[in-house]
Amino acid sequence: MIAIENLSLRFHRGTPDERVALDDLSFTIAESEFVVVIGTNGAGKTTLLNAVAGSIVPERGRIVVDSTDIVPMPVHRRARFVARVFQDPMVGTAPALTIEENLAFASRRGLGRKFKLALNAVARSRFRDLLVPFGLGLENRLQAVAGTLSGGQRQVLALVMATIRQPKILLLDEHTAALDPRTADIVMQATTRLVAEHRLTTLMVTHNMRHALECGSRLLMMNAGRIKLDLAVVEKSKLTAPELVRRFGEEDEQILLPGEV
Amino acid sequence: MEILLGFWNLVPITLVQGLIYAFVALGVMIPFRIVNIPDITAEGAFPLGGCVAAILLVQGMHPLLATALAVVAGFCAGAATALFHLKFRIHSLLAGVLVVTMLWSINLRIMGRPNVATFGLLDIFTWISDAIAQNLALQIAFFGVLLLVVLLLLWWMLHTEVGLALRGIGANAQLAPALGVNYLRYAVAGLGLANAITALAGALSAQLQGYGDVSMGFGLLVNGLASVILGEAIIGRRSITTQLLAPVIGCLVYYQLTSLALSLGLAPSDLKLVTGLFVLGTIGWTLAGRGRARALAT
Repeated sequence: MIAIENLSLRFHRGTPDERVALDDLSFTIAESEFVVVIGTNGAGKTTLLNAVAGSIVPERGRIVVDSTDIVPMPVHRRARFVARVFQDPMVGTAPALTIEENLAFASRRGLGRKFKLALNAVARSRFRDLLVPFGLGLENRLQAVAGTLSGGQRQVLALVMATIRQPKILLLDEHTAALDPRTADIVMQATTRLVAEHRLTTLMVTHNMRHALECGSRLLMMNAGRIKLDLAVVEKSKLTAPELVRRFGEEDEQILLPGEV
Repeated sequence: MEILLGFWNLVPITLVQGLIYAFVALGVMIPFRIVNIPDITAEGAFPLGGCVAAILLVQGMHPLLATALAVVAGFCAGAATALFHLKFRIHSLLAGVLVVTMLWSINLRIMGRPNVATFGLLDIFTWISDAIAQNLALQIAFFGVLLLVVLLLLWWMLHTEVGLALRGIGANAQLAPALGVNYLRYAVAGLGLANAITALAGALSAQLQGYGDVSMGFGLLVNGLASVILGEAIIGRRSITTQLLAPVIGCLVYYQLTSLALSLGLAPSDLKLVTGLFVLGTIGWTLAGRGRARALAT
């Protein structure tokens, strides 16, 4: 279980631009829960994700994973618990490494690294098996440099890298936003499959209302650093996208746009 | 003909020179290409290696141990640059300039004077065989074998779990921490390793020429850069193998070209100007090529 406790953060503190990003935010995520977070720009969703990942340190509050508060840990130490797929397909993979090297690199997340050859026949066949289900042919291009892959292929590779070792929590940061709608759907299907297969505890931020409705077991709507709406799967299944926007309590056509950045 | 004959006669000694400086070119390549932190510490690590080895030999230390300590000193210099860069948040090139400048005083301090002769002392070459000092072929064999060993070790290391993480911080500084890699630790180790190799060249060079000098290797960094650029133009940098071989091949070609240019009448004092212009020209040419590629793409 992941517990977010009283998380607070203001940007530009003490200046006229001061803005509340997280406002005493508390909620818990159960084991294997797939939480989808939506909200307008500035609602605090990405800040929440960054706080869990460690790239932003909150002013107050705790993030408890398995009864350990991870807030004091630097990014590389929480990597033991947290895996992350970034919005920018360029960030989720190492472009200068080959596909198999990227996977070998990621397979040591949160473990020690030794002076031991990173690749061998066993690892290669395992990587191949991991890539086959996505139907992108990546399994036949293990020696290709990741920089030569398309955005969608790189995002799928980033997903496989993030889940190659089971994380305590998987963070998806608008990871389909930079892709065209068709590719975004392919990546989203890959996501759903991986999350279901490994029963991953997942926190996904998205601007894509359709993905928000179709995926996940719980929907959080954030506004001004707080949770405005918390829907479990049953209530969620009755919702339609326009209704969701209405419950948002404001006229924001933007959030209807699929794949909006 | 006479000119070419003069050049031809110099080929073996230039080859020895090229093999020694190939270590420096490797030490320049690693920060720029693998760790992706531009670093000029080589300029100070080379004389540091030479001075440390020379003074330790004079004090009667075994040449193997003296050379090893020179390598350790080089590692510390590179590690210091990385620490200043990351802890004080100053540009890595400025951190390197600071370290190189401070090393000048440190070298003077450890030797007590600007240069120390090691003639007649047991050094790493006389320890192996007295014949090496007089025999260019043996020198070529010595440095060739040593270079091969270093290249094989580097190739192996870069394919280990640790090596992948080192290449990982260079390839994607944002992703590596998310995969549990301590960026600071690997950056320090990477720059340390690079400058340890450069200091090895300094230590061997001092023992071959018979003295350590605070100003030895002035301008070596630019020669190293030119070698890396030249080597990458010749064999590319598509894989770790070519990335490792590029500085070596580039260095061997660079020093032969230099020797040819000198025998054709280039004033030795103009050499650094020409090398600098070569580096600038190559970078400018690459940029222009990229501009063309972009123009074609849009």
